[in-house]
Amino acid sequence: MSNLWFLYLFFSALLIFIGLYCLLTMRNLIRLFIAVEIISKGVSLAIVATGAVKNSVLLAQSLAITYIVVEVSLVATALALIINIYKKNKSLDVRLLSKLKG
Amino acid sequence: MVIQIVLLCGLVLFSGLAILLRDLIKAALSLAVASLFLGLIFFRLGAPYAGVFEISVVAGLITVLFALTIALTKKEDEVQENRLVKIIFPLFFILFLIIDGLVMKSLLTKVPALPATPEGESFGLVLWKQRTFDLVAQIGVIFAGVLAVLALFRKTGKDEDKDE
Repeated sequence: MSNLWFLYLFFSALLIFIGLYCLLTMRNLIRLFIAVEIISKGVSLAIVATGAVKNSVLLAQSLAITYIVVEVSLVATALALIINIYKKNKSLDVRLLSKLKG
Repeated sequence: MVIQIVLLCGLVLFSGLAILLRDLIKAALSLAVASLFLGLIFFRLGAPYAGVFEISVVAGLITVLFALTIALTKKEDEVQENRLVKIIFPLFFILFLIIDGLVMKSLLTKVPALPATPEGESFGLVLWKQRTFDLVAQIGVIFAGVLAVLALFRKTGKDEDKDE
């Protein structure tokens, strides 16, 4: 069972790495948000896999569902924010956001 | 075991494609396929409700939202990404793969896991009885999201002047 846990957490760490790499290096706001989605996939995989291995899959499942609901709400808000930023700046370049005034 | 490895490899492959593909629509579709793989993994792990949520909500709804945003923000001059970023990605990926393989196993033995609490008989009991507070929080989060979207898309005085 430990090998199975290792396998799932190994792949979940890979997903988190891919997301973090994209977040740190890319400039397009939509692509950055895709990276956040990839990280969240890694986290939900880790939650459900740990639950399955530790024999508490029902609890892990309910936590994963809560996580998905939060994720959807976050996506809707963030994409609305991205559209507003695009309307204002006419670009999705994240570097332009450094010109914001407080 | 083999099927699980294939599904996990598919998940990582399509997630990688989502950040490497130049066309944003293709990237969003690739993310949806990755969600589909994750949903199938959930099914294999004995979490069918999470799998259904993952496939219907994340692979379906979120992809539609992404496609809509990409369509609304389409412009001739795209954001230029640094070309070096995509070239050195495989190098960093392989480096992390090696470190992950070496470190993860020893980490799993060192990090103590919390003792598992006794579970209810069915998923419904766990969700509605044990995690009631989560459900209340979910309702709050959904309302917060709706209010945020309404606030972000409200018409200001300037917009109304433009319409006229």
